[in-house]
Formats: sequence, C-alpha cells, structure tokens
Amino acid sequence: MKKLSAVLVTLFTYVVAVLYFYPVFWMLITGFKKEGDAVQMPPSLFFNPTKENYQLIWDSGVVSFFSNSAVVTLTSTLFALLLGVPAAYVLAMFKLKKAEDILFWFISTKFLPAAGIIIPIYMLFKELQLLDSLWALILLYTAMNVPLVVWMMRSFFKEVPHELLEASRVDGASDIRTFFQITLPLVRPGLISTALLSLIFAWNEFFLAVSLTATSAATMPVHMASFMTQQGLFWAKMSSVASIAVVPALLLGWFTQKQLVRGMTMGAVKG
Amino acid sequence: MMQELTEIQKVNMEPGVMVNKSFAPPVRRLLWPSIIFVALITQIPFLITIYYSFQDWNLMRPDKGITFAGIRNYSKILLDAAFYEVLWNTFVLTGGTLVICLVMGLFFSFLMNRDFFGKGIVRTMLVSPFFIMPAVAGIVWKTMLLNPSFGFTAYFASVFRFPLIDWLASYPLTTIMFMIAWQWIPFFMLILLAGLQSVPDDVMEAAHLDGANALQRFYNVIFPHLLKYVEVAVLLGLIFIMQTFGEIYVTTAGGPGFASTNLPYFVYRVGFQGWDVGGASAVGVIIVIITIALMTVLFKFLRKTFQGELS
Repeated sequence: MKKLSAVLVTLFTYVVAVLYFYPVFWMLITGFKKEGDAVQMPPSLFFNPTKENYQLIWDSGVVSFFSNSAVVTLTSTLFALLLGVPAAYVLAMFKLKKAEDILFWFISTKFLPAAGIIIPIYMLFKELQLLDSLWALILLYTAMNVPLVVWMMRSFFKEVPHELLEASRVDGASDIRTFFQITLPLVRPGLISTALLSLIFAWNEFFLAVSLTATSAATMPVHMASFMTQQGLFWAKMSSVASIAVVPALLLGWFTQKQLVRGMTMGAVKG
Repeated sequence: MMQELTEIQKVNMEPGVMVNKSFAPPVRRLLWPSIIFVALITQIPFLITIYYSFQDWNLMRPDKGITFAGIRNYSKILLDAAFYEVLWNTFVLTGGTLVICLVMGLFFSFLMNRDFFGKGIVRTMLVSPFFIMPAVAGIVWKTMLLNPSFGFTAYFASVFRFPLIDWLASYPLTTIMFMIAWQWIPFFMLILLAGLQSVPDDVMEAAHLDGANALQRFYNVIFPHLLKYVEVAVLLGLIFIMQTFGEIYVTTAGGPGFASTNLPYFVYRVGFQGWDVGGASAVGVIIVIITIALMTVLFKFLRKTFQGELS
C-alpha cells in the first residue's frame, strides 16, 4: 500500500514536470516545423522536421546578434571576476572593521532598480557616442555582476580552512604563491559556478540592452523583441530564433545546478 | 576535492607551528577597484537622476532647452491618475506573483524532497524556466500558449467548449503574473528544497520517537526550520520581481492603457517613448525611494537571516 502511493506520487511528479517544461519543449520542436505545421489545429507532436527555419534565420543575419551577446556576456563576466574575486578574497580572509557594511553596500547596489539610473546612463553614453555600442553593455553588466561575484566568492573563500593557509606560510610560501597554489585550486568549483551564473544573468538581461542598443549592438533578447514585432506571425521561424537565444543559458544553467541556490541567494543559502 | 584537501593538510600540518598573524595589509587595497567601479556605474548616475528630476527637459522639444523645474516633475506625476494605477499594478503584480511562487514552490519542493527514479531529469525540467530569458518567456506564452486562434488555450477551449478568452487582452496583469511565476517558482523551489533537506535528522527522529504524526512533524519541526528559507526566498523574490520588465515589453507593452504597466515599465514609457528626461528621472527617483524604504525594513530581517554568513 505504501509502495503504491509512493509510485503514484512519483508518477504525479513526472506529470507535473512534463507540464511545467512543456512550453520550453514546444518552442524547441516548433523551430523544426514548417510554418503551416506550427499553427496547425489541433497542435500536433508529429510532423516532418525541417531545417528550413534555421537556414532562413541564419541567412537573415542572426549570427551578428548572437555574437554581440557572446562578446558582451563573456567580456563582462571576465571583468566582473577580475574586479570581484580580489575583493571577495579580502573580505573573506581579513578581519575588516567595515566588512559587513561593504558587503551590504554591494548587495544594495544589486537591489537598486536599473530604472533609477537608466536616464543619466543613456544621456552620458549618448554624449560619449557609446549608444548602440557593445562597450556600453559590457560596462553595465560588469557592474551588475560584481556584487554577485563578491558575495558568492566570499562564501567559497570562507570555506578554505585557515590552517591550510597558515601552514603554507610557515612552509615559506609567499602570499601570492599561497593564493595561486592552494586557495585558488580549492575554490575552483565555486569560481566556475560563479562565472556560469554571471554569464547567464548577462546573457538574459533585457532592460538595459533594449534601452541602450538599437541595431548594431543589439543582443539576442533585443533581437527577439524586434523579431516578434516584425515577424511575429511566423511562429516556426520565431521559435528557431528563440531556441538559439535560449539554449546557451539553458545549458549553462543545467551545468551550474549544484551551486544554483547559493548563487541565487548571493551565498546566503548553501543548498 | 575533500580528498585532495586532507592530503595537503596531512603534508603541511605540523602541530605546534600555528602562527596567528594575518597577512600583509597592502592586500586590502584589492577591495578598492571593485568598489570604485561599482560606485561609478551605479551610484553617480543615481545622483544625476536626482538632479535631472528637477529639470524641465524633453528631448522631443530641443527648442525649449533645459530649465529648472523645481518640483514640477514630481507634482505632475503625483497628480497623475496613471501613476497610481501603475503603483497599484506594481503592488498587485509583485504580491500576486510572490504568493503563487511561495505556494507552488513549496509544493514542488515537497515533491522533490524524496528519492525516485529520474529525479535529476525532473529537477532539470522544473528548473529550466528560470534560465529562459524574459523576452522569450513572454513570446512563448503570448504565441504558443495564449494566442486566441492557434494557441493551446484556444485548442482546449474548443475541445472542452469553454468560452474562448484572449487572456492577455482581457486579463493582462493576471496573465503576466502567471508568466512571471512560471519563471520564478524554480527559484522558490530550490531555496525551500535546500531548507527541507537541511532539517536535522536527529530532531526528526526524536519527533518520530515521541509519536508525532506527519502533520505534527510538519507543524512543529519542519515549518519553523523552513521559515528562515521562506524569508530569504520572499525577500530576494520581492526585490527582483518588482523589477519585471521584459515579459511586459513583449506581451502587452504595458497596455491596454496603463493596465499592465509597472513602475520600471513606466520609466521606460516616460523616458524612451515620451522622451521626457525630467519626468522619467522623477519616476526613477520615486522607484528608488520605494525600494530603499522596502530594503531598510527588510534589511533588518536580512541581516539576521544572513547572520550565519556574516560572522
């Protein structure tokens, strides 16, 4: 009896998961349908798959938006790590009087709505001729992700046993050597998931991107929005663009699942 | 990794040579680049926003130039009925989404807090919507699920002979609420699941031995433990969900009228559709004030909640 109810709960869980994931799944397969099949009533799972849509959107230049996204995402994540990791290290390893204030200051900049700064940023970049340029987004996404890096990496650095570092010092290793040979290898898994999360957030960001770019620096989310207004009736084509836009973040997200909770809560919940 | 760690420990740890001295102080300067950079990008512009909010400045009317407006931008907004509609929308959208996320997140976390075949895949499927960019999430819902002629809801309406409803047109705010909830339930599920999995085994066992039934165990052991995690999820969820923008942009563009415009989208409309620099800045300032007010109240809890991390 108990076993039966366990099986039923499991089956129920499967049904819930399938229903919940269905919109994503449906989008991914619609990208391989012909336009006629995509709007067929009733919606059908069975169809002749075609690469036609991908061919079409490839020819229409989706590559440039994709590469904009890639450049902005990778560069800003690299910068965020370069700025954030040393700060996290200091905050985790040394007793600073103001450590708590500094940490909360970082988190508060992440919580402040972008709507509160978008107007001057727009005017400033307009003045500097940086509107619709990749640099504008790289700068902003770096600033957006530094607090995440600081909080997450700090929580990983704190888990490095202090005795280990002291032992290394006693053995005569310099601080720099200790950092690169002992601390860094120990926090590497944490560093990787921090980077992945930073990549995901930058990849999906929309508000700043749509406000500050037009055509030449538009990222995938911006391209999606304008594609929707211009060719929203071509569902199959739109699904294939959407799939291309979504898959990188999905894959990264699947890889980072183990540290996801820690990343989303800025290190507060270990998960 | 643990293996590796103990190896190193074994090699390097010699008893009696613990030096209790911290590293050289100049390392602390490593803090500054990040602080300066973040301050430059996020704090200075906010000060300029405040300054702009007192200016009469419309990019569509370069002939009028930029003049000092006093508090005119603010009084205009505060006397505008649309602003209160937007404020109410933001409240409903955020509050409603939070409630849905909390209930469904709890439900999902209970489903996931047991061992069964294929758990990893199920978890992956449930988490996925969190990684879908807001722009695409909105598009998928608007077209595939809710399109009144070809969407799934249309199909089900025709099969079950329900009246056909154009959800986004008739109930824009509620529909967007569910759309955002779809993306944020995984966030709640994972945090609450972490909470469920960290209920101390010995306490559960003790409750078992004392003859507590499932309901009592939930109420007296699991629930109090879970509260801390609920708090974290709600606080962070609140702050992030309040900033919803992409889903609105691609589905309703804030309409009809202002029916589905929230505060961030209002800034976008005033600033980038009306090109009213002063007015948009004033709305921006108001949003930040509301957020700060919320944060100061919440930070008291937050500091307590994050305490373990901060000691």
